[in-house]
Amino acid sequence: MISLVYEIKEETGKDGRKVYRIDREHLLELMGDLKKEGYDHLSLISSVDFRDRIEVVYHLEKSSDNFSIIVVKTETRDTHVPSVTSLWESANWDEREQYDMMGIIFDGHPDLRRILLPEGWIGYPLRKDYDMSKVQYVNMDEEGNDYVSFDPGDGW
Amino acid sequence: MESDLTHKYIELNMGPQHPSTHGVLRLKLTLDGETVKKVEPVIGYLHRNAEKICELDFYCDALIYFDRMDYVGAMNMEVGYLEAAEKLLNIEPPERVKWIRVIMAELNRIASHLVWAGAFGLDLGMLTPFFYVFEEREKVLNLFTEICGSRQETNYMSIGGVYQDFNDKIIYRIKEFLDEFPKKLEEIYNLFVKNDVFISRTKNIGILEPEVALSYGVTGPMLRASGVPYDVRKDEPYLVYDKVNFTVPISRKKDVLARFIVRFEEMRQSVKIVKQALEKLPDGPYFNPKARKSLMIRLRGEGDVFARTESTKGEFGVYIVGDGSVKPYRVHVRSPAFKNLSVLPYLSRDVLIADMVAISGSIDLVFGEVDR
Amino acid sequence: MNLLTRIATILSFLGHYPAYILAYIIETLIVIIFATVVVAGMVYFFRKYMARVQMRIGPNRVGKFGILQVMADGLKLIQKESIMPQGRDDLPYKVAPLIIFIALIMGFIFIPYGPLAWLGTLTVTHSDVSLVILFALIAIMPIGELLSGIVSNNKYAVLGSLRGVAKDVSFEVPMMLSVLAIVMMASARNASPLDLNGIVQAQNIPFAILEPLGFFVFLISMAARASYSPFDMGESDSELVTGNTTEYSGLRFGMFYLGLFGTIFLGSMILSTLYLGGYNGPFVNYVGFIWLLIKTLVIVVISLTIWLSMPRVRIDKFVSFGWKYLLPISFINLVLTGFLVLGGIS
Repeated sequence: MISLVYEIKEETGKDGRKVYRIDREHLLELMGDLKKEGYDHLSLISSVDFRDRIEVVYHLEKSSDNFSIIVVKTETRDTHVPSVTSLWESANWDEREQYDMMGIIFDGHPDLRRILLPEGWIGYPLRKDYDMSKVQYVNMDEEGNDYVSFDPGDGW
Repeated sequence: MESDLTHKYIELNMGPQHPSTHGVLRLKLTLDGETVKKVEPVIGYLHRNAEKICELDFYCDALIYFDRMDYVGAMNMEVGYLEAAEKLLNIEPPERVKWIRVIMAELNRIASHLVWAGAFGLDLGMLTPFFYVFEEREKVLNLFTEICGSRQETNYMSIGGVYQDFNDKIIYRIKEFLDEFPKKLEEIYNLFVKNDVFISRTKNIGILEPEVALSYGVTGPMLRASGVPYDVRKDEPYLVYDKVNFTVPISRKKDVLARFIVRFEEMRQSVKIVKQALEKLPDGPYFNPKARKSLMIRLRGEGDVFARTESTKGEFGVYIVGDGSVKPYRVHVRSPAFKNLSVLPYLSRDVLIADMVAISGSIDLVFGEVDR
Repeated sequence: MNLLTRIATILSFLGHYPAYILAYIIETLIVIIFATVVVAGMVYFFRKYMARVQMRIGPNRVGKFGILQVMADGLKLIQKESIMPQGRDDLPYKVAPLIIFIALIMGFIFIPYGPLAWLGTLTVTHSDVSLVILFALIAIMPIGELLSGIVSNNKYAVLGSLRGVAKDVSFEVPMMLSVLAIVMMASARNASPLDLNGIVQAQNIPFAILEPLGFFVFLISMAARASYSPFDMGESDSELVTGNTTEYSGLRFGMFYLGLFGTIFLGSMILSTLYLGGYNGPFVNYVGFIWLLIKTLVIVVISLTIWLSMPRVRIDKFVSFGWKYLLPISFINLVLTGFLVLGGIS
């Protein structure tokens, strides 16, 4: 089915779902092929921080086949992963969320900004090495834009 | 906007404190007179990072943060989390628990859709149906109070079971509610659709093509109103949804009115499901002894699991990674309202402000869930 | 004999001119008190009625059955600090609510109230052109609306006031055309057709029966002008927060609020005067005023029912309805009235 110009490791997950493991250089090619095969619904992009590497997990659904799920996993050590926004629109906000929370930089994303946290937040909260003991304060500057600092400032 | 000197666009910040944004949505509008040229949703004002908090607690403790995500449909959130957690921890709930969960989830679906209908009416400037709707919703919440002692954030289910068993009185009360609810539902439905102004405000507004909807990751009643019959309860049945008889309503009209009608039809189907579930409710224990209270904090899980359920807003997915300890290593939530909101900029090109409010109302936003 | 001359007669021991001046002052006070009481009563009635429609109880804490609730709300609004936006244009910002409120109160002066028992006729002022003055006063009110929106340095307010004025202007024309038909009818039997009292006396048969089209047009235009809920695009709370009154608080907001309810009441009163025969009815010399009130209340209840049962109409559809349908209808009405007058039916 899938043209084997790249190497995929196929395994079965704990929940019985089919998992493809792929290195990130060939991620876009595999995703393009899967899209052509009918996986037109990108359910979510999540990521797991294993301290030495970050695993990015894609859940794709096929609308013609009762929305059956296929899982694609890739991993990165320098936080760079190619963006799949060209294939699915929903990747836009998902990738922004992962950038926001995990600090993954999706190369080729049209508008990679923080989505849930204010712009300028220090650190990525879902990383395992995120320091939760430090309180960050969000204040508003003269132009009405948010900025973040460890200093409470006037607003607090 | 592009540098168009012949026009003067107005930049308008709608929200985060605005009557029609259902909480803390902020919309950056670019207006040409009354016409919306561009919308940029800004979210995150209710962000609590529940995913990180879940990593700090035991598996059983994470449940209450899910209650607080979609606080209007808390039972569905609990079902969603437990589907994933129980798979990861290899705990199978007893048969009776599955049926009880179905009953609670469907009752909550009714309550949630009712709240949506009331809020949607307010968006369009109808004040009166709001009270009729909340009267019915209050009856569901009274049932919840009787069953689990809490109205909204119920914290009723637990890993491998539920907090309290059903007794005959509760079953009688639910049946009583189900007998009179359909009549009231039709009354509320007619309050809306028999009104010509309501029809003219919703018909052919906010048309969402199915291909676009799939590409944006839209799920739930919004996707079904676009003609794609995707319902996790049918396509990948969890709990005992494969043993009850119900249909998945879809509409091919794709507009705001279609979303309204689909949600009301879903309520009718929910009534049907609860009726069947009450008849089929088997006897048996209401928790799995492997996950009784003293053992609950010692549950360990390894591997990764993705479970999806049909919450009131759409496909609610929970992705849990366990590392063999008593705490989850990573929890990620696929929030349907988050994805559904992402289609708003697409839907609101070149519509009037009034229509944009109708469209954003039809999405069914609950900000606890969008921001998590 | 109207109220003014009667008061002046009572005070005639002061001399001619002082008596008249004092009579004018007393009369103005009476009208202001009447208008305020009527509007406050209407707010109370509206809240009770709304509660009944929505399966609630409504105000029931302040006073017996919550009668004093409106007074308490008013006192609260007076006490409140008036928060004013930065960058406002100060004078128009403060004048705008006054324009609406004063125009409303003055509108109440020219209504022919009719006789009531031993008090005789309650009509405050006679004027040969009271119809013209009344509609001039009503036409002033959009100016207050426009000013309040534009000068309060808020985008919602600007959008709201533009919407409101667009709506008001597009319904002004059909309204005046249907009033013109009334004047034609009255002129066939009356020497002074621009006098509201004359119009009332000309209605042996209420004009609503003779020209139902005009009644329809006037009812809708009046509803649009009063801008209650389905037609309140100017301050649609789910879209533009509260439109032109967004930046107003305290007493100034209270004036807008009273202006809204007052316009509904005044509009219903004008409608029943022009089309439903005003104070005409059985035993007109004793209970004429009561007839007027009953007719007004019926129209008010109809308005409130529309308010409570309809979603907000979209502004572009409503305005185009005004120009595309209501305007031609009012022209047809004018032609039909011409036939009626020429045929001597009236």
